Amino acid sequence: MEDNQTPAPPAVFDVREITFRYRQVTALDHLSLAVSPGKRIALLGANGSGKSTLLRVLDGLAFPEKGEVVFFGEPLGEARLQNFEFACKFRRRVGLVFQNPDVQLFCPTVMDEVAFGPLQLQWPRERVQESVDKMLEVMKISHIKDRSPHHLSTGEKKRVALASVLVVDPEVLLLDEPTAALDPSSASQMIDFLVGLRGEGKTVVTATHDLDIVEDIADECFVFQAGQVAAQGTPNEILSRQSLLEQTHLLHAHRHIHGNNVTHSHPHLHSHKH
Amino acid sequence: MHIPDGYLSPSTCVVLYGASAPFWYTALRRMKAALSTRVVPLLSVMAALSFVIMMFNLPLPGGTTGHAVGVGIATIILGPWASILAISMALGIQAVFFGDGGITTLGANSFNMAIVGSLVAFAVYRLISGSAPLASSRRIAAAALAGYTAINASALCAAVEFGIQPIYFKDASGAPLYAPYPLGIAVPAMMIGHLTFAGLAELVLSAGVVAYFQRTNPGLLKNTAPANVELGREEPGPAGWRALRPLWIALALLLVLTPLGILAAGTAWGEWTVRDFSSQQSRAKIAQASGNATPPAAAPRGLERLSAIWTAPFAQYAPSFVRRPAVGYLLSAMFGCGAILLVSLVAGSLATRARGRPYELS
Amino acid sequence: MNFLENSLAGFLNALEHALDAEDLARRRGLLQRLDPRIKVAGIAGLVIAAAMARRLWVIAAIFAVALLLAAASRISPILLARRVWIPVLFFTGIIALPAPFVIPGRIVWTFPWLGWAVTAQGLKSAAFLVSRVETAATLSVLLILSTPWNAVLKALRMLRVPVVVVVILGMAYRYIFLLLDNARDMLESRRSRMMGEMSGPDYRRMATASVGVLMSRSLQLGGDVYSAMLARGFQGEVYVLEDFRTAAFDWVMLSVFAALAAAAIYYGR
Repeated sequence: MEDNQTPAPPAVFDVREITFRYRQVTALDHLSLAVSPGKRIALLGANGSGKSTLLRVLDGLAFPEKGEVVFFGEPLGEARLQNFEFACKFRRRVGLVFQNPDVQLFCPTVMDEVAFGPLQLQWPRERVQESVDKMLEVMKISHIKDRSPHHLSTGEKKRVALASVLVVDPEVLLLDEPTAALDPSSASQMIDFLVGLRGEGKTVVTATHDLDIVEDIADECFVFQAGQVAAQGTPNEILSRQSLLEQTHLLHAHRHIHGNNVTHSHPHLHSHKH
Repeated sequence: MHIPDGYLSPSTCVVLYGASAPFWYTALRRMKAALSTRVVPLLSVMAALSFVIMMFNLPLPGGTTGHAVGVGIATIILGPWASILAISMALGIQAVFFGDGGITTLGANSFNMAIVGSLVAFAVYRLISGSAPLASSRRIAAAALAGYTAINASALCAAVEFGIQPIYFKDASGAPLYAPYPLGIAVPAMMIGHLTFAGLAELVLSAGVVAYFQRTNPGLLKNTAPANVELGREEPGPAGWRALRPLWIALALLLVLTPLGILAAGTAWGEWTVRDFSSQQSRAKIAQASGNATPPAAAPRGLERLSAIWTAPFAQYAPSFVRRPAVGYLLSAMFGCGAILLVSLVAGSLATRARGRPYELS
Repeated sequence: MNFLENSLAGFLNALEHALDAEDLARRRGLLQRLDPRIKVAGIAGLVIAAAMARRLWVIAAIFAVALLLAAASRISPILLARRVWIPVLFFTGIIALPAPFVIPGRIVWTFPWLGWAVTAQGLKSAAFLVSRVETAATLSVLLILSTPWNAVLKALRMLRVPVVVVVILGMAYRYIFLLLDNARDMLESRRSRMMGEMSGPDYRRMATASVGVLMSRSLQLGGDVYSAMLARGFQGEVYVLEDFRTAAFDWVMLSVFAALAAAAIYYGR
């Protein structure tokens, strides 16, 4: 951090030329990108384009075989995260919401689930209890706090998963397909919530293939294809490039037959409800 | 096989908790050393899986179904130590949550199924599979036999635990306080069911899942194979199962021939009952009074008649225990099981020829 | 067909039992009110007393206590009969059935035509076995029907079971239902696609493949859950919330349980 003489604040994540292989398959291929503080980023890509892998790398759960990820000026390596102090600090500042809530919700009750993070970070008991109660309130899940996650609906599970990450108030939030498998009303609730995060100055990185939500949740998009960044730009710029979206399997040819005119900044896939 | 509360005296329970404790301790330490922090989620998921496997109803040759404990396959995939812990935890959840098994007998159940089961399965599997390639059919045979032997070793432990209850625990009038039957009855009664249904269920499951992994993800079999073992070129799958047929035939022959084997090893088996009741005489009387067909247990009628056939020839020269009806049941059951196996194998191969495609079982 | 149906019935039964338990545990009643630690210790004490008793009337008395506890906790005898008494009677009853004829002792009666002799000791031993098993099973089912599983876990923690074991039991319980759902989906989709009869070998292939699939998924799940734990700061030691508030009532009930167990052990010698 000493050599921090650049006028701009250091990037939250500076991803430099990383390559990651999962068994024989290359998930990330010499990929570089930077995430500046307070920005809301969308990682767009079809399944298997490497965006979930990137989130895991950013969260220090997987480590690239080539290249490096720098977090606020500090390299994020496996050895670094073995250090108890650093791990606590990092986990406190960065939270990841998994795509599959059944993976994320492993505790016997909703209450235990939300309390898990702060307890592992060794907060004092009163503070744990206080933040847990507050978070249950905010996410409107107080009434199910003693239920087992198994008996919840998918929408409730997603809310609990989000609560379990937000409870330590991380400044960086990584979201993997936040609206996947949700019914329309739960999905719009989730989007409202994500839109509401804008005011809190958090850095949010969302991986999604749901083009409908991009405008609402992101200031900047990266389009992923085969483990590389195929394009970068604002939501408007990206959504107007139909050929790009088709080529990266984000858009089906027959789905935008109704996308009626080119004067629009982006094709309408569905009617938006705000 | 899940011993409920009330079958074993508290002192037996304490002894078996005590016997299990060092294994649990060692297993936990070894797992922590090998997996460090990964041990918590992996064991949780595996315990959940063992629980679910115990609920699977498996079709067996001969048209019946049975439940397996899953100790064979758990040992082969996870290694014996993880298997001990996963199955013990599953048994604990079953005991507390479903009242299947018992709280006082949890130590006994874990000892029999998780500990003895896993260690026997591991020994048999390693012994037979040796350094065979991961995809070789020898591994399927090894898995089959590992599951079968493990479950029967567990059953034998449980039977012995039952059998010693009436020796040590009686009230003032001489009435047994816990499991009432002596070794001479408890052992054959337990073994009939396990040498046949439960054993076969375990056999089918272990062999079938190993065959499945050979096709889909042979890497999972590396855990309990020697370090330098290769994958193997031979085509697994149907071929693997066909190669298993000699094993089935051997097993069937073995079962059919057991009566002779037991006769030959008569003295060794006789020792099981040396410490038997002082009242052996009176029981023999009851047996005679009832036309040599005691006990009128759950055993079907047909078996009873078969047992007379088996015990009759031994009358002159066999040691006295062989003449017991209980032994007759055991012999008849093994014979019956072997016969069923042979018949279904013959029928299977006939059907195969008729259909003109290989006999698959995987 | 019956293999599929039986497995499915087993899975459903387990899920239903869990729902029953969650539902009953939320009702208001004597056992539901108690601190789980005291409940676990008290009921374990009674089970041990039942296991130690050498007199039938003592076991019967403990059974009566169990019935009272059930009534005070609004757990219906019908549910107990369905979940415990009948299955236990069926299983243990069959095992105990030959005892009166096989156990040597004083002959009290002889079957008219068959000539089988029934002994007093045999009858007594059958009674011991059945009553003991019924009593212990009733008590342990009362415990789970009146206590959410997570409360049982926390009680175990307070009773000095190592935290890693308690955490694993909690996660295992949670994933049992996920895997049961998985297994059910697999079998049901199979059933819906099934045309006509399936041969024995086909059945077997399908059953073992289902277990194989479940096993691969479980291994994958184990790895994913590990990542999810790491992501929230897990570093090898698990810390859990422990909030127990014992009221005077809890201590009263603890002494009641202790007195009952002690009396049962004393009179049951």
